[in-house]
Amino acid sequence: MEQLLNIPAILAIAFAGSILVFVTHLVLPRLRTAVVLLLTLVPAYLVWQLPVDSPMVYFSLGGFDLSWGTNPYSRLFSLLIAGIGVLSTIYSLAFMKNKARLGFFYLAFLATIAAMYGIVFSQDLLSLFFFWEIMTWSSFLLVIYYRFENQQAGIRYFVFSAVGAYALLTAIVYLYSFTGDLSLAATFRVIPQLSTTQLSWITVLFLLGFGVKSALMPMHVWAPDAYRSAPSPFTALFSGVLSKMGVFGMGLVLFKFMGGLEPGHIIREVLAWMGGITALLGTFYAVFQTDAKKLLAYSSIAQLGYIIVGLAIGTPMSVMAAIFLALMHGIFKSMLFMGVGSVFHQTGSLDLNELTGLIRRMPLSFVTVLMGIITVAGVPPLGGFVGKWLLYESLITSNHYFLVIVLFTSSTAAFLYLYRLIFSIFLGQEEREFDHIKEVSWVMWVPMLILAGMTLVTGILPGIFFGPIAEAMQYLGFPQIDWQMSVLFNPWGNQVDMLSVITSIATVFLLGLAFITWKNFRTTRYVTTKDIHTSGEMPTENENLTYAIDFYRPFERAAAPIFKYKVTRMYASFAENAEHLFDLLRHVYTGNAQTYALYVVIFLVILIVFSGWIFGIQI
Amino acid sequence: MNLNFSPVHFIAVPLFAAFLLPLLGRISQKLVTLVPGIVLLYLSAVALTLFPQAYNEPIVEIIAGWRPPFGITLVFGPLAAFLVTMITLIGFVVWIYSYRFIIRAPLEKYYMLFMLLIAGSTGIILTGDIFNLFVFLEITAIAAYSLTAFLRDHNGAEAAFKYLLIGSFASAFVLLAIIILYANVGTLNMADIAVRMGDVPAKIKLTIMILFIVGLGIEAELFPLNGWAPDAYSQAPSPIGAVFAGIVVKAAVYALMRVLFTLFDLPTSSHFLVVMGTITLLIAEMSAMRQQQIKRMLAFSSIGQMGLVLVAFGLGTREGIAAALFLMFSHAIIKTLLFFSAGYLVFFSGFKNISDLEGVGREKPWTGFFFSLGALAIIGLPPFSGFWGKFYLLISAANASHIFLIVLILFSAVIEAVYYLRVVGRLYFKKLHDIEIRRTPFTGLLAMGILAIVTITIGVYPDFIYELVLPAADELLDKAAYLQYAMMGQ
Amino acid sequence: MIYYITSIALILIGMYAVLVKKNLVKMIIGLSLVDGGLHLLFIAIGYVDDATAPIFSKEGLSAAEMVDPIPQALVLTAIVIGLAVTAVALAIIIRLYDHHKTLNVNKIRELKW
Repeated sequence: MEQLLNIPAILAIAFAGSILVFVTHLVLPRLRTAVVLLLTLVPAYLVWQLPVDSPMVYFSLGGFDLSWGTNPYSRLFSLLIAGIGVLSTIYSLAFMKNKARLGFFYLAFLATIAAMYGIVFSQDLLSLFFFWEIMTWSSFLLVIYYRFENQQAGIRYFVFSAVGAYALLTAIVYLYSFTGDLSLAATFRVIPQLSTTQLSWITVLFLLGFGVKSALMPMHVWAPDAYRSAPSPFTALFSGVLSKMGVFGMGLVLFKFMGGLEPGHIIREVLAWMGGITALLGTFYAVFQTDAKKLLAYSSIAQLGYIIVGLAIGTPMSVMAAIFLALMHGIFKSMLFMGVGSVFHQTGSLDLNELTGLIRRMPLSFVTVLMGIITVAGVPPLGGFVGKWLLYESLITSNHYFLVIVLFTSSTAAFLYLYRLIFSIFLGQEEREFDHIKEVSWVMWVPMLILAGMTLVTGILPGIFFGPIAEAMQYLGFPQIDWQMSVLFNPWGNQVDMLSVITSIATVFLLGLAFITWKNFRTTRYVTTKDIHTSGEMPTENENLTYAIDFYRPFERAAAPIFKYKVTRMYASFAENAEHLFDLLRHVYTGNAQTYALYVVIFLVILIVFSGWIFGIQI
Repeated sequence: MNLNFSPVHFIAVPLFAAFLLPLLGRISQKLVTLVPGIVLLYLSAVALTLFPQAYNEPIVEIIAGWRPPFGITLVFGPLAAFLVTMITLIGFVVWIYSYRFIIRAPLEKYYMLFMLLIAGSTGIILTGDIFNLFVFLEITAIAAYSLTAFLRDHNGAEAAFKYLLIGSFASAFVLLAIIILYANVGTLNMADIAVRMGDVPAKIKLTIMILFIVGLGIEAELFPLNGWAPDAYSQAPSPIGAVFAGIVVKAAVYALMRVLFTLFDLPTSSHFLVVMGTITLLIAEMSAMRQQQIKRMLAFSSIGQMGLVLVAFGLGTREGIAAALFLMFSHAIIKTLLFFSAGYLVFFSGFKNISDLEGVGREKPWTGFFFSLGALAIIGLPPFSGFWGKFYLLISAANASHIFLIVLILFSAVIEAVYYLRVVGRLYFKKLHDIEIRRTPFTGLLAMGILAIVTITIGVYPDFIYELVLPAADELLDKAAYLQYAMMGQ
Repeated sequence: MIYYITSIALILIGMYAVLVKKNLVKMIIGLSLVDGGLHLLFIAIGYVDDATAPIFSKEGLSAAEMVDPIPQALVLTAIVIGLAVTAVALAIIIRLYDHHKTLNVNKIRELKW
């Protein structure tokens, strides 16, 4: 019995929780922190102890049969939501301290988490869509949380989401007109009976819907500003988990629905290329950002590009890589946003041209961001390496050599922006104005370091993810996949034992470090940045010695022609023209009573004259 | 038949109250405010009592002892029960809201006209007699014209004149249709007409139908007959705007559908309805996009929603009609909520312009909250009732394989989202200019709170309404059964 | 027949007035004309040549010898309604004149778009 009640209980607690927090904030603000903590931890704990194959819950709502349940695939994502959800909530407790309208903030925050649980537990298309839309509006409320200036970003986010959601809805009702049943199981049964054209339409609509949330180009336009505008704790969740809901859906569509789309199908190829282009362009855009969060936002778009490539290729290894990368991205991107958010919290700035030399002021944030960028770059020994390695291998074995080149370029270019991120913020000259900056409180750095630890663990023992992923892939219809805790296989029979790789790297690294420390320990002395002698001149206090400003100007100049053609501008002009058209249209309401009367008479005359044609002859 | 509870009360009691109110006004203004509330509470009670009965077996009430087809009958079937209950309940909420909103004299005129509106709207729905329908239509219309011009300090008169001019056209066409109908079938009882309709030549039948479509279409806000609507909605006092959107239009749509489904064979007109509904929807939503005044924007959105309802009716299937009724219900709730909150927002800022509402939401958190909630609900987001209406409509459209229709409906939903969210954003994210802050009275918040709770409840558990809507849809479709009981077996 | 022609002519004249005349009062007169035409049409439909009023005034009067009473009853109702509408309309016009100082329908266009 208690097994049966679990999923509804989780969702009920989670949703009721969001309202409860709102009420608590109004009635007893002092208890708010405790309530928030309790209401994120309890559902997360319940999700954690939920069995992989818990029995389905069936019920009927509004004349439709709905069902909720878990499977290995949804469990994987539910744990991601629970983990990042709890950590970002804890982080937010300190971050949002003393901010206005906290009840509203936590209402939307917890509702978003609850809706995401709902999405992954849905076993039918209606509840999937239901929760999907709740997630959309609650996250929209958080995007516009700060200021009026975020309006534009918020509305853009909402419009894109709405277009995506409605593509989803169209596909759902279209499918329903064939199946007469909304459950996923029935849908899977009916799909093979559809014609290729119908199937392609449905697939494209679904992919459009899910693609918008995972910011696939050219539907990514909303993402940079929305990520930028949302409060940092939410951005962590937004980019880390919410965008993965798109990935979750795509996985379902590509492998469960569209079993008919064999690898190499045109839709798959197109999707893979869109993913590749997203990865490449996302990276390029990221390089030229001067706002830390926007930089990370573009990076996020690019990373999702990789994931989508993996999903689209559809070989067991590429899918494994994609899901692994999805989980990794969930971890490292929320950790990076938290790190950058901490900097923002302490300094009030996200401008890469302004921030500088914070390494000694905020060492823990530095460590977090450092680990984060190492993971993003895909450098061993951290987790990102494993995912990328798998992805490249799978691309090569499925003969997508050109895509490999694209992704490799993007991956290499990523170093540019990653370096800029860490250099501008933490390294370089220490400025007086940042002297008073302190590390953030432990409430904020503990979640960050937990995530950082996760990247290290997954780098050394990727198997802890491989196990669940392999099970999830079996649910998606793939054969059993061999894996070992720390060993990567590839089809040529080679094995890469991560543990030995890591051990050797670590040994060398530690030895080197020890050597340097030992050699230089005596002669080391601390100097301030300005304590240098340049040709006998002392640098003045406000002289700039580091070059964080216009970091990549040469590249920017070279790339300028590309940036002239922006999709954003295209959409904007489309929207503008549409609005002008609408504005013209409303002039039919002239305000003259006689005109309106004339409309009536003309309408009557038209109906009577063309009655045969309009109503058909028979009556 | 139990005299205490009969469908006649829906018409007689508010009508009586309407005549009584000016007299009461001489005694006490307090009484004038209270009596309509008591009347509406009583009517709601009657509606809820009769409700199960109507669903089991429709109640047919004979007026003045003449049995059908000669006398006037009131038919209280599932459909009528559903709509009348909706109207009385919304009427009651509107009264709660008006209690502190309409505080300037002439109170008795306001409440008298309000009572007439209720009597007329319920009359339209209950009557089984086509001429009676015309009479109630006119009662509603005259009360509506006057209420549009109720506020002296606005352009109410201009709006009322437009409404009156077009409304008179409507009544002329409906009357003409009734005349031609009577000349051909020689009876006025709708069920009787439906029986004898077979003998009428096709051409004449078509003409009658067109006249009804145009005449009732004006009241139902069909494009291009709806020129009066934005003006009337925006100039009438806010609770009356809500009444127009929630009650009057619904009654008019009912009249149109009753005539089309019962008197004529539907399939011939259905494509027409789908097309006209879609055009109405699109033009209204596009026009709403750049409106400067919040109430005018709400008016256009209202027209758009009526377009949706017409589309759903036009599909002509059981699910389609159920969807239409669901949409009518949820729109009545949500639009009333929006008009209520917009009323106080306008009241606070002193302007009707959207740009003047900046930051009002910060000063008036609850009113702003209710407006935002209403906006989310009307866009069709879960977990609010608006979502289910749209979802049912889309499902039935897909089952009728109108894929293009789905695309158009969703396109309009995107437009809707944009203009509503713009307003919501403005409410919260700019500084307020120096205006005097007044409190939203408790009754106003109570009215909005009730509606908000209803829309969320229905959104989470739509079965409440969906199960009521299905038998009502059956009633509209099952002509034979209607004829059977409306004629009382004759 | 003459009744039908007259009534339709009245309706059309009324329509013309509403659609073309710019003066509000003339438009309302047009509306009244339309109404009058409709009422006449309705009566004409119930009219039977050489029949008497539908009252049992003489012994042995059969129903066939009387005109149809229903249209008459209905038209009475319709006349009352028409009167009410006209009254409201005139009241509104007075208000409009106070407000705009004109009766030209083209100049009363504050609410538009």
